[in-house]
Amino acid sequence: MIESKANRKFKEAAFYNSQNDGGYFLLPFKFHRLNGEKEILVNEVGDYLILPTGTTATIVNRQISKENNSELYGDLIANFFISEEAIHPLIDVLATRYRTKKHFLNYFTGLHIFVISLRCEHTCFYCQVSRVTENRDQYDMSIQNIDRGIEIMFKSPNPHVTMEFQGGEALLAFDNIKYAVEKSEKIAGEIGKQITFVICTNLALVNEEILYYCKEHKILISTSLDGPQSIHDSNRHKPHASSYALAIKGIKLSREILGEDQVSALMTTTTLSLEHPIEIVDEYYNMGFPGIFLRNISPYGFALRTEKSKYSTDKFIEFYKKALGRILEYNFQGHYFTEDLARIYLTKILTPFNTGFVDMQSPAGLINGVIVFNYDGGVYATDESRMLAEQKDFTFKLGTLNDEYKDLFFGAKAQEIAQVWSNEALAGCSECAFQAYCGADPVHHHATQGDMYGYRPTSAFCQKNMEIIRYLIELMESEPKIKKIFESWISKK
Amino acid sequence: MAHINCIKDGEIIVFANTLLFSKDALFKCLYWYGDKFHTSVSFADVDNYCVKIKPLSTAAINSEDLELYQQKLERDLIDFQLRDVVTKETQNIRDLIIAKAFSNGEFDEDPPGDVSDPVGFNPSL
Repeated sequence: MIESKANRKFKEAAFYNSQNDGGYFLLPFKFHRLNGEKEILVNEVGDYLILPTGTTATIVNRQISKENNSELYGDLIANFFISEEAIHPLIDVLATRYRTKKHFLNYFTGLHIFVISLRCEHTCFYCQVSRVTENRDQYDMSIQNIDRGIEIMFKSPNPHVTMEFQGGEALLAFDNIKYAVEKSEKIAGEIGKQITFVICTNLALVNEEILYYCKEHKILISTSLDGPQSIHDSNRHKPHASSYALAIKGIKLSREILGEDQVSALMTTTTLSLEHPIEIVDEYYNMGFPGIFLRNISPYGFALRTEKSKYSTDKFIEFYKKALGRILEYNFQGHYFTEDLARIYLTKILTPFNTGFVDMQSPAGLINGVIVFNYDGGVYATDESRMLAEQKDFTFKLGTLNDEYKDLFFGAKAQEIAQVWSNEALAGCSECAFQAYCGADPVHHHATQGDMYGYRPTSAFCQKNMEIIRYLIELMESEPKIKKIFESWISKK
Repeated sequence: MAHINCIKDGEIIVFANTLLFSKDALFKCLYWYGDKFHTSVSFADVDNYCVKIKPLSTAAINSEDLELYQQKLERDLIDFQLRDVVTKETQNIRDLIIAKAFSNGEFDEDPPGDVSDPVGFNPSL
């Protein structure tokens, strides 16, 4: 046994155990019943414990003690659920953890979406944007608006901005993209900001010349792939051609010229997709993507004008679980293949960090993380906001590119939205155990419920997030090997 | 007078002692029933709240389901009361955590002890 030294500051365990008379103080935490047997406790920084149902009551009623429930007591102390002192001696650690979770607020707006053209040669039935014909030049962003958008983008305090070109079909206005990229590169170099470029395109118009330009200017490609040909072509109609064939050809060519990791794809779940979760996952796997992002259809724009794209959240969740099951099968076989929505939640659940995913943040990602400069000079809080505008709903229009930066980002409209962009202060969310893993989406609630504050009991956003988070936690708890897989998704190993 | 929770004329009636349940907990609990039920809170007498919920005509809840909903309401009231206790007991510490998190160091305190010799192995002492 090591002898105690007079000058040693660490004391024996008995010293620490005798410091407290058995009483304890609660630290902020929330709880939720997972099922009949278990409940989850989540503290202010997202650390969780899964305990037998009724444990919260025993904690709150001071019915646990160091002597009789030593293991639980130790877990609660170590994980910041209770404290033996009124002010926890490590409160600065807890505050630092909280700051880390909210780190995305540190730099303000990063993603700047330029709707470079509203023209499109596809006629996708679910298109979130009201597309117009290929021939109408008046639907391209003017050079004056591009200049003004760049000027505003570089006023962001964020040292690393992203300039994303969207449409319509962005490549229909490739000359304007070139102008914007070259001008922005020059300014970024002069003022010492980092900039990332992304073109969102269906790849139908892509060619070697465009891709070599992208390579030279380090432009990333983001495309759409809804699944195998039968689903993709049904969802994404292109007159007199197979959209799928063009997308696949474009993905291959892009990978060849830019590199595998410079091309990403997104899928949108339609009613047709709901019947084919396995085939859709297989398509992404067979195409060599490292994962898939299972996205439900956005309740905006053309998407809700047709019965073809309406389905309940229950149906999406059923689809999601089947698809996730298939993804896990690939992982059980030793392949690294992720589901990106799960990865976002899991980062929040299993790590001290948050993600840059603007749809799942509190305060919401709109304005704080993303801003949209529309082709016509309108400035919107999110991509979805400009989709609403195409339906003559200008609720989330912050102004125009002719306005001052402070009026756009801190003006009356931004302040109005700010009242409802933190789930910590929303009815139904304020005491939700999954608050730290979730976010606020005023645009979604305005679009679906006519009120940006939102009503959680009928909110599809709430229903989807609650169930998927609960399901991911249940999977991890039921199978240690699933937890290992999920951890590998976060650590990217 | 003893109040018994019951289902009467298609309406679930649950009583909550005012000493045991806060008004905040009641309203936060009932918030989650508004999509399927008409909800109301009143005083049964000076010591008891009377909570009533009645299915909306559009909610497709049959009479057999009411007993389950009664059980759920009774359980949820307790859960929301627990949440209310935690929220109110921890409000100050939560404010402190957030103030410290978003401060520029002005609320930070020096850690106790000698930073250069945190475990006390310095033989010269």
